[in-house]
Amino acid sequence: MPRQAARPVITRLLQRGLYGAPLAAVAALVVGPLAVMVMVSFWTRTGFSMTPDFSLAAYSTFLGSTRLDILFRSLWVAASATLIMLLIAYPAAFLIARRVRTDAVRTVLFLFAVPFLVNYVVRTFAWTEILGRSGWVNTMLLNLGVIGAPLDWLLYSQFSVYLGLITAYMPFMVFPIWLSLSAIDPRLEQASWMLGETPRQTFWRITLPLSLPGVFAAALFGFVGAFGEFAISTVLGGTGYQLLGNSVISALNVINYPLAAAISTFSVGVMGVLLLIWFRVFDLRLFLGKIMGRT
Amino acid sequence: MTRGVWLFLGAVLGVLYLPLIPPVLESFRAGDGFIANYIGIAANAVLMEGIRNTAVLGLTVAVITPLIALSVAQTLRAWGRARLILGLILLPLFVPGVSMGLATALVFQVIGLEASMVSMALVQILWALPFATLLLLTVMAGFDRAYLEAAHMLGAHPLRAFIDIELPQIWPGILGAGIFSLILSFNETIRTSIVQGGSNTVQTYLWSQYQQVGLTPPLYALMTLLIALTLVLVGLLAVLDRRLLARRQIDAADLDA
Repeated sequence: MPRQAARPVITRLLQRGLYGAPLAAVAALVVGPLAVMVMVSFWTRTGFSMTPDFSLAAYSTFLGSTRLDILFRSLWVAASATLIMLLIAYPAAFLIARRVRTDAVRTVLFLFAVPFLVNYVVRTFAWTEILGRSGWVNTMLLNLGVIGAPLDWLLYSQFSVYLGLITAYMPFMVFPIWLSLSAIDPRLEQASWMLGETPRQTFWRITLPLSLPGVFAAALFGFVGAFGEFAISTVLGGTGYQLLGNSVISALNVINYPLAAAISTFSVGVMGVLLLIWFRVFDLRLFLGKIMGRT
Repeated sequence: MTRGVWLFLGAVLGVLYLPLIPPVLESFRAGDGFIANYIGIAANAVLMEGIRNTAVLGLTVAVITPLIALSVAQTLRAWGRARLILGLILLPLFVPGVSMGLATALVFQVIGLEASMVSMALVQILWALPFATLLLLTVMAGFDRAYLEAAHMLGAHPLRAFIDIELPQIWPGILGAGIFSLILSFNETIRTSIVQGGSNTVQTYLWSQYQQVGLTPPLYALMTLLIALTLVLVGLLAVLDRRLLARRQIDAADLDA
């Protein structure tokens, strides 16, 4: 009878809708704003408003001014800060995965999560207290007689910007690296050892390559954060110090939406390319399998 | 060896925790003293409104985000395609805060809507969603789907099986995702400040005050309260995690027996 045949189809459709609708909504929420941003980046500015257009005016403004210097600085600062963050986060993740007792792992990971959860703007404000001319570090060093006059390079300098970026983004980078390290089958390392490789060779040829999906995810997170940074450069960089996020905000402050959108589109584009590489190059099954259990 | 391990981890953690101390000390020391600084908060009408907004936003984000995360996680389990779906969910994690805020602000601008609590809630949900989903997925990974099959064999409707069997098991994950979202919501500044419109949250108020007049003693008191509240919620999360762990161990012991 046709009625009986129809029911499973309806059920299937219902089920598909039940699963699909929230996902579609999320997709629209995540991708929609970014698509609008890309669209607006091609519009033109008219006074305090903007008109739909297909123009590269915003991009030429972006690339033809001092903002270009800010772009290159941001790329350099983000890349070098990411490298430093990896050099701290990787050993930390490695030690947690391999040296910390199993029953203490959760606690140690938790300790890394706590500072990440406290607003990084508040933590950035705090660094000014610690690093300022009459801050903790200078006071302590003066009292100890190590220095004769307060150190100037501690605050409003490259040093403070890097310190701010590292303490803001590094804690979270420990997690993906730890995840991919602990997903490595220990038998692979044992096999390498049995075949006569030294621990150091085993690390370079087995452990490190297998942990790269997590390392790349961590690097991406740190790089993108530092690249588009706004608050840390404002608070710790001193007068005039700008990263790409400051460019976006300064364009917003003069109500030039297309320009702000163009700069943002550029940084999201950089992120998109890196994200594609991550998806293409690495086998993420191990990495995702650790999150989702056996699937 | 072991000592070296703890020395390294301790040093890194030490630097990470150092910035949590100065606001607390300053709130006691600066200005007209500790009590005046905290009273200064209550006397500030703009700030009190910001606190109300923060609470409303926080609760909204804490309720909606886990629900979205739950439905996405269920879809993921039913459909597979983990790379695609997780890629989508994790995307906001890899978009600079300023850009995500701008993108959302532009949507409102193009549609012609005023930036408001809705736009603020939207950016915060987008920001919290990757974390909430990951957290929920890890808890759901510990749930044995054989229970659902058993319920099915005994004739239970999938919805009934979900409510009676799965929900009680993954409830700590949903609760955890909610608390995590709440924490992320009231610790968010940059994304929110771009879409804030006329309203303020505690964080955007703090940021605008910093830009206009710099940090004042009452602001240190405010920061102290924010840090303290975050730590309380984080503590709650830790308790939840311990409970979950203990229950898993009991379950495992039951299976062995």
